[in-house]
Order: sequence, then C-alpha cells, then structure tokens
Amino acid sequence: MERISQSQMAALIIVFQIGSSPLYLLGKEAGTDAWISILIALVLGLLLLMLILLIHRLEPDKDLVEISNAYFGKTIGYVIGAVYFVYFVYQSVRNVRELGDLVSLYFLQTTPLWIVISMLLLIAGYAVWHGLEVFSRITQILAPIILLIYVGFFILVYTLGFIDLHRIEPVLENGLPKVIDAAFGVVSFPFGEMVLFLMFWKFVAPQKKVFPTTVLWYMVTGLFISLMNLIIIASLGPISEMSITPFIELMSQVRIESYLERLDPFVGAVFFAGVFIKMTAYFLGAVLVGKRMVKSGQRYIVVSIGVLLLIASLLFRSYMQHIRIGFSFDVKYHFPIYQFYIPLVLLLVMLIRRSMRAKKNGRS
Amino acid sequence: MNKGPKDTKATPADASKTKQPITAQFSANLKWLKDNLGASSDIVVRSISDRASGMEGAIIYVDHLVDQQTVNQMIVHPILAEIGSDSNLSPLDWLELLKNKALSVGRIEEVQSLDVALAQLLDGNTVILLQGCASALSASSSGGEKRGVEEPSTQTVVRGPKESFTESIDTNLSLIRRRIKSPLLRIEFLQIGKQTMTRVAVLHMKGIAKESILEEALTRLERIDTDSILDSGYIEEYIQDATFTPFPTMLSTERPDAVVGSLLEGQFAVVVDGSPFALIAPVTFGQFFQSSEDYYQRYDVATFLRIIRNIAFFVSLLFPSLFIAITTFHQEMLPPPLLISLTAQREGVPFPAIIEALLMEITFEVLREAGVRMPRAIGPAISIVGALVLGQAAVQAGIVSAALVIVVSFTALANFVIPSINMSNAIRLLRFVMMLLAAMFGLFGILCGLMTLLIHLASLRSFGIAYLTPFSPFIWSNWKDILRAPRWTMRTRPISMSSGSNRTRQGRGQGPQTPHRPGRGNDPNPGSNE
Repeated sequence: MERISQSQMAALIIVFQIGSSPLYLLGKEAGTDAWISILIALVLGLLLLMLILLIHRLEPDKDLVEISNAYFGKTIGYVIGAVYFVYFVYQSVRNVRELGDLVSLYFLQTTPLWIVISMLLLIAGYAVWHGLEVFSRITQILAPIILLIYVGFFILVYTLGFIDLHRIEPVLENGLPKVIDAAFGVVSFPFGEMVLFLMFWKFVAPQKKVFPTTVLWYMVTGLFISLMNLIIIASLGPISEMSITPFIELMSQVRIESYLERLDPFVGAVFFAGVFIKMTAYFLGAVLVGKRMVKSGQRYIVVSIGVLLLIASLLFRSYMQHIRIGFSFDVKYHFPIYQFYIPLVLLLVMLIRRSMRAKKNGRS
Repeated sequence: MNKGPKDTKATPADASKTKQPITAQFSANLKWLKDNLGASSDIVVRSISDRASGMEGAIIYVDHLVDQQTVNQMIVHPILAEIGSDSNLSPLDWLELLKNKALSVGRIEEVQSLDVALAQLLDGNTVILLQGCASALSASSSGGEKRGVEEPSTQTVVRGPKESFTESIDTNLSLIRRRIKSPLLRIEFLQIGKQTMTRVAVLHMKGIAKESILEEALTRLERIDTDSILDSGYIEEYIQDATFTPFPTMLSTERPDAVVGSLLEGQFAVVVDGSPFALIAPVTFGQFFQSSEDYYQRYDVATFLRIIRNIAFFVSLLFPSLFIAITTFHQEMLPPPLLISLTAQREGVPFPAIIEALLMEITFEVLREAGVRMPRAIGPAISIVGALVLGQAAVQAGIVSAALVIVVSFTALANFVIPSINMSNAIRLLRFVMMLLAAMFGLFGILCGLMTLLIHLASLRSFGIAYLTPFSPFIWSNWKDILRAPRWTMRTRPISMSSGSNRTRQGRGQGPQTPHRPGRGNDPNPGSNE
C-alpha cells in the first residue's frame, strides 16, 4: 500500500487547483467583478468539498469505486465506476489538449500537434507507471517552484507599474446577480474538480489530518487564484476580456530594460508544470478506476488508457472549440453531474444504509 | 563471518568434492594438498622432524602470499628451537606445544579439514601438519607486497585529512578503526567470488544505523554468486537497487574520513579487498554534491560552495542544450545586440547548431578520455592539442562559432566541479540526450527532458531510502546538511538514515557565547550601579 504524506497532499492540492486556471480569465461574464465571482465560487466549492470530504470521512480506507461498490452493489457500482472513468479520461484529455495547443501556439508552430501530445502522454504515462507515491513526490518538488515563479511575476508586474486598481472600478457595476451567475461557472472549474481526490485520500497518512489540511490549502489556493485574477484585470483592463490567454498577454508586455525582453519561457514552464501535473493526476485517477474494473496487468491499463487519451485529444477540431465546449457546455451542464449530483446521491445512500445497519445491529 | 542458511563460504575450485577430513596419515594429507594445488611451484613445504620423540611433519605455505620474515622468525625458528627439547612427547602433545607456546604469531587456528587448510594456505597463512594428528595448525602469516597510504588522487581537499585507502583491506580497516575508537563500530566479513575468494567487509555503527537496511544489504551481498570480485564496482553493480539508470545509488570514495562521517550518520560501508574505493549506502541525491572538505571549512563558505556545485549541475546538464534551443527555435528571447553578434559569428559556420554542438562535445569527450588513458610521459602533448581543437584554431577554421567554444568549455568546467565522478558521468550522458531533445523540440523538449528526469529521480531508491530525500519526501531538519548549517545547529543525525531511538549526536547550546568574566570586553561590571 502506497502512502503519501500531508505535505505531499498539500502540494497536490495546490498544483492541481492552480493548474491552468490563471491562464483564463475565470468568471469572464462578470467583467471587472470576475474576482468577486471567484470568491463566491470558492465558498460554493467549499460546500462541495465538504460533501466529498464527508463521503471520505465515512469510509476513510476506500476509494470512490470501492465505496460505490459497497453501497450500490456490484452492478450499479460498476456503472458508476465506468461513469467516473469517462469523466477522468475526459478531464485528462482536456488538459492534454490545452497544453499541447499552447505549446504548438507559442513554442513549436511547425511541429504536428500529435507529436507534441504523444510526448506529453509518454512522460505522463511514465509518471503514472511509477504510481501515486512517485507522482506526489514530483508534485512536492514542483509546487514551491511554481509558487515562487508566480510570486516573482507578481513582484515584476507590481514594480513595473502595470497594476492600476482604478480599472476594477466600478465594483458591482452590473449588480450582484450577474456576478453570482458567473460564479456558477467557476465552481466546476477549478474548484469542483476536487472530486478526483476521492481516489487519492485513502493513501494519505495520517488520516486524521486529511480534513483540515485539505480545507486549508483549498482556501489558500482559491484566494491565490482570485488575487491573480484581480491582478490580470487591474493591469490589462478591458483587453483581458478579449484575449484568449490574458495571462500570457500580460507577461509578454513585461520587459526589463533590454535584457529581459520576453518572459514567455518562464510562463511556459510554469504552465507546463501545472497543467502536466493536472493531466497526470486525472490520468492516474483513470488508471486507478480502470484497475478496479478490469482485472489485468498495470502495464496494459496504463498503455491502453494512454492511447485512448491520445486519440481522444485529437478529436477536438481546434483550440477555440475546446475552450467553447469547456466554458459554455461542460462547466454548466456536464461537470456538475460528476461533481455534485452523483456524490450527493452517494452520500445520501451511504447515510441511509448506515443508519439502517445501525438499527439492525441495535435490534440484534 | 556472517553466514546464511546457504553456505556462501567459497570452497576450492572443485566444488563437487565433499569435505576432506584430515587423517592421521601425514603423507596422504600432504599429497592431497599438493594435488589440489596442481603441484604449483610456489608451494613451499619445509619438512620438520624430531628424532628424539619421533615427530614428523611439515610447514607449508604459498611463497608469494606470506610475509617471509614472519614465517622465518615467528614460525620456523621457534619450531626448530623446540626440537630435541623433550623426548616423550606424543604427536598430540607436539600440537599443543606448538599451538600454545612455540608459535609466536597472533592468530592460530586448529583446522579439521583439508579444504579449510587449503583455503587458509591461499589466504596467506602457514599450515603445519603433523604425523599422527587428525588436525592441522594454521598460523596467520599473510603478507606480501602492498602500497603505502598516499594522498587521495581523485577526491583532493585543500584542508582536511590527506590519507586515502589502498588496495589492502587490512590497511583500509585500520584507517577507519583508528578514526572511530568506539566499541559500537561493527565489522562483518564475507567471502565473495568462487575463484577470487575476495574478502569483503561490511561496516556499521551499532545502534545508529538502521538494522533493517543493514539486514537488506547483507542479504543482497550473500546472494551474490560469481567467479570474481576485482573491485568494489563489481559489488556495487550486484547490490544496487536499479540497473536502468545513469545515476549511482551508492557512493564510492577513497577517503577514510568520508566513510567515517557516513558511518556516524547511520549509513553502512562496504570495503572490498583489492580496491581502494569503499562503497557507502544508502545515499541520497544531495550527497553526491558534498565534499568532505565542506565540514572542515567555515560553514558559510561551505554553503556557498554547495550552492555553486548545484548551479554547476544544471549548467553542465543544460547549457549546450539551451544554446541549441535558443539559437534554433527561440531567437526572440535574446537581447538584440547579443543576437546580432551571435548570428554574425555563425555566418561562416556550415552546420546547424546541433551538429556543431555535437561535434564540439564529442571532441571534448575524446579529449577527456585521452587525458585519462594517456601514458604519463606524453601528458603535456594533450594540453597543446586540446587547446587547438577546442579553441581559437577551430573557430578560425570556420568549423564552429566562438560562442559555442565558450559554451562547451564552461560546460566542461562545470562538470569537473561535481565532487563525485559517478555523478558527473551520469550528467555527461544525459547532456547528449538533452541536446537531441533541444534540437528536435526546442525549450519544450528541454522541459520534457527535465520532467522525465525528475520523475526518474523520484522513482529511484537506495536501499529503501528515497533518492530525493530531503527535497521529497520533504524533511526539514535534513536541509541543514544540504546547505551545511553551522556545526552546533546540526544536533541530530539525518532522519532517513539513522535509527529512530538514537538520533542526537551532540549537546545543546554549543554556539558561541560571550564570556561572563568581569573586566573583559566592553560590557560594564554588572555589580556596580554607581
């Protein structure tokens, strides 16, 4: 049985949450109040987190598939496993595609996309092959580096005088309803994605601290994302709503004298690390589910899921289509099923069956 | 002698034979020994006999393995002096007499079987056979030529001990024993290699080293089944954790002080007869960037040097590949003046950057290898030739650009900074991989390479200890030795290596303190308030 430590779990949460979120202007519909919608989404996401943490609390040594097997029986449990398998694979595909497209866009315009994605998947597969312990170790090393680089960006942007807080005025220009409306989109990306951790929590030691550590770092990264959003809006103003990747836009404007013309490689490296960890986490989640469903060797599962990811990631027609599907359809209708409805039903069933069992034990 | 259920003790070459007991027939015993050694001409058999008591026997030794002086003065001479002293001694009495009185050497064993006697002979001991005795005496007399203790040739220091190991295991163990005068230092001997029967010693500090790790190491050592062990490198390859990795998971060192320092931190050491390099395990990635001198210098300087070495690691791994990536894919990253001068330099160069860099790197590797293999007498020639192929001449010939010469030279320099040869060799290999990745995919290729490297390093273990400790799993207190904190702050041994019960190694509060003597310094006398 593999074990991961508290600090490794914290690093996983940090990198997983940050992932590619700074890339986009989350809560775009709220305009200059996007950062407020993120805060609202953070609170809503916290409720979701409580929901899945409660599930984990009731069965601390089982993962998602094992729990649904235990409470719904073999058949329905299998179906739920399959459903989550699809969800994890889809999320992984989205992240791979995102990273692959960005690399093609900014670094390698001439290299075919499938080669870039194959390389990414090979490395991710290599990490998954070694399992959760090794994966959390690399995350632990990358997390401080990623945070340091972001802090460096903040300092640069601040000292070079990009930030102008007047740009976020007037606050709540379009009223609160619109902001809340935008917040619902942000709940499922990135905050609701914590549902993946139902596959990982059972490996954490000591179990007692899972709850406080998770909540603490979830809140910290949420505030961090909100701050980042605020900075992007305050420095770019209206441009930020037009650009596909406002953060890269902002960084390409930073220059120090004539020595450092472009910080692109650093931005690229940070995104690479963040998104890579995120997609590998989903890949690993899919492999863990796959192991429960199919009785075959680790190597076949990893390789076949890798090939599946490669094929699926090339199905998107373009980067724009990927983003449109993500922000207009997935986030509103698709993801809530996995992130809210299924866990809610699961929790209710768990509570009912447990109370029935307790009654039975009381009678006997 | 630690022996598992399997008999790992090497038997003479013909293993199919059962143990041959020593019979009372002295001539038959002698014949067996001679036959088994193939009547090799360096076997010396000196007959002894005493007419008075009718004793008959032989002193047998292998000529080149013994210390002639010991044999003459401590064994042969005393025995001859005993002859004729007492006429009613039975053979057994003679044996007792020789064993307890006459022979003036340190270690004497009574052996019961001819196989053991043979092994003792080949170990450089002298065997004495007597007519009518069903056992033989073996007196330790091993000697022969060995090198004196010299200065280390590969791990030199400016300040610190200047002794290094030699090829003799006895010398090496004495160098270690002399530095730790503690009864807790335990040494276990094994014999490995069916033909060479090499003596291998495993050292650890009882109560400081983790027992589980030690058990694992001994199990692995006993599993070795091979003909020959010619150097500690053989042992390393047999007992290391991972084969498919360029990175060393055991540290080899020729410095006794390094071994002692590691023993005291809870690691174990393996010393092999015939090799001046001892092995230390379990090791972590960070230890390959430490030199023993770090502990003999001021801590701030040592910390600075360690940071420099870590920078050197990245430089020697990535500098050429970054050069290739930036000049091929990402010219816009460079400030315009630099870009213009680089482009101007490369104007006459016929090759793309990757070919150019590979040419130069391979040239340098050849040069380095030539420097190692070259006979001493022609040594100076290499520096002259090297300066030509890797310098101004190459640039003027229009084969490479001047900037690349700088890159290759600096990379080479950075590689020499890393204290461990094994680690710097690993980086040499990986540098070429990185260059190819950079040529194909630019910075993205380098990022992919680094990520793969990180995953690989994170997956490595050395005797169960994660290779990347203390970075990950993160252990805060072990960081003191990544940066070399002041000595008095390093109160505990590294967590991962040492056993949990006994981790404190020094008392509290040994930092510098102001002397509390009145009238010293500029603090006023605390007793006077006037």
